[in-house]
Amino acid sequence: MGRKTIKVDYLARVEGEGALNVTIRDGQVSKAELRIFEPPRFFEAFLRGRDYAEAPDVTARICGICPVAYQMSAVHAMENALGIEVEGQLRALRRLLYCGEWIESHALHIYMLHAPDFLGYAGAVDMARDYPDIVKRGLSLKKAGNAIMALLGGREIHPINVRVGGFYRTPTRKELEPLAETLKQARENALATVRWTAGLEMPEAERDYHLVALHHPGEYAMNVGRIVSNRGLDIAVADYNRHFVESHVQRSTALHSHLREHDCYLVGPLARYSLNHGQLSSLARETAKEAGLGVTCTNPFQSIVVRSVEVVYACDEALRIIDEYREPERPFELAEPKASEGFGCTEAPRGLLFHRYRLDASGGILEAQIVPPTAQNQPSIEADLKDLVGGWLDLPADTLRERCEQTIRNYDPCISCATHFLKLDVRHE
Amino acid sequence: MHETALVKNLIHRVETLCADENAERVVEVAVWLGALCHMSPEHFTDHFRQEAAGTCAEQAQLRIETSDDINHPQAQDVLLQSLELETEDEAGP
Ligand SMILES: [Zn+2]
Repeated sequence: MGRKTIKVDYLARVEGEGALNVTIRDGQVSKAELRIFEPPRFFEAFLRGRDYAEAPDVTARICGICPVAYQMSAVHAMENALGIEVEGQLRALRRLLYCGEWIESHALHIYMLHAPDFLGYAGAVDMARDYPDIVKRGLSLKKAGNAIMALLGGREIHPINVRVGGFYRTPTRKELEPLAETLKQARENALATVRWTAGLEMPEAERDYHLVALHHPGEYAMNVGRIVSNRGLDIAVADYNRHFVESHVQRSTALHSHLREHDCYLVGPLARYSLNHGQLSSLARETAKEAGLGVTCTNPFQSIVVRSVEVVYACDEALRIIDEYREPERPFELAEPKASEGFGCTEAPRGLLFHRYRLDASGGILEAQIVPPTAQNQPSIEADLKDLVGGWLDLPADTLRERCEQTIRNYDPCISCATHFLKLDVRHE
Repeated sequence: MHETALVKNLIHRVETLCADENAERVVEVAVWLGALCHMSPEHFTDHFRQEAAGTCAEQAQLRIETSDDINHPQAQDVLLQSLELETEDEAGP
């Protein structure tokens, strides 16, 4: 036996890279089909046969950009199945954790992935050369989100402190207090972010979306609520599958979601903002107004501004929760396994995330269904592209590809990683 | 979810190199994480363990270097830097 070391210097790439096929007929875009990589189906199979209590930890691994969302939808679905309700300070702590995720994920999306498009850079690295202070502000904002996640989640990226019924351990008041200083600073950075993104040059692109988001009567919905839309949808989470259908599309590993009655729809910041604007904090609302946003927003490129407004809100809301925090008597409610079915839906930073589980009598998972925001938005992304590409056909090939990537990055940091290498195929028929 | 795809790709690369060198298994994998790649060493390790199961890199030690230089030309990337391989012959270090 021998040993040898070889030097490599290889750049890891996202596999199953994104591809966009555009078909032109008589000078008009007749089709825009997006192929992206997405593997949540693997996790659904992986969850089968496992104990219900494992679901939060397993699902948190699905995405490093929104682990809390996966975890929260999973615990809510399990609690729904087992008939327990998490209230009071435990509920508030979950909301605080979710604020951390919104701050972290939005900051990453805004500064590292999306802003470079508007300013004409290939990525955040190029942008950092000319705008070092701006990139640093983005990183500092992201760090504030991380700080919440690290404290409540047990660690920064894939939190492990969340369990069905509550938390393994809840923080003391003393432990939470230092976060307030961090968050006040973050709120200043968030306000600056709104002003800055509002000044970016935006393509004019109003779209007539069917907007879908959670709505809660008492708060800007994050973790709980009914599923509502701007066209009259108003259903309980448990009725999700009665109104939404997923279908396999051959060209993509991802499933597409449709509303049975209205076909494609939009989830994410634009939907949340437009449906729940009145529930933002007054500071967030004022900032949005100053930035030129109305009470609804349907320009997909302005999602970068809306995300920034949501960061202001998340900082505000996190500060409120910390201020009102009283240490709960126990860290979790105990659940008793039983044969059951449960549903959970939360607002991941990039949109509605639905989970459904069926359990056997001892709490084993018989079936898991996970519908990520990307699957729900994909038909809408294609519709955006189909609408917009027609106006860009005279652009040089590289510029056209960049515009398409930017359009995709309006939606999602995860797929946008894949679409940094978007293969664009324009076919004339 | 891109990290799953990223780490899978890295492991494919490791497997190819391992086969090219006629090596039995990988003893150590050295990677470099850029300041803006959005992966902590812990997070990377989780994904690596998950994806490496059943491959020649299953037992590999990870040596992870993290950069905090946001101006590095590869700050958004993950780099595979070197591999230590166990070979059948006496190839030496
Ligand atoms: Zn991701």
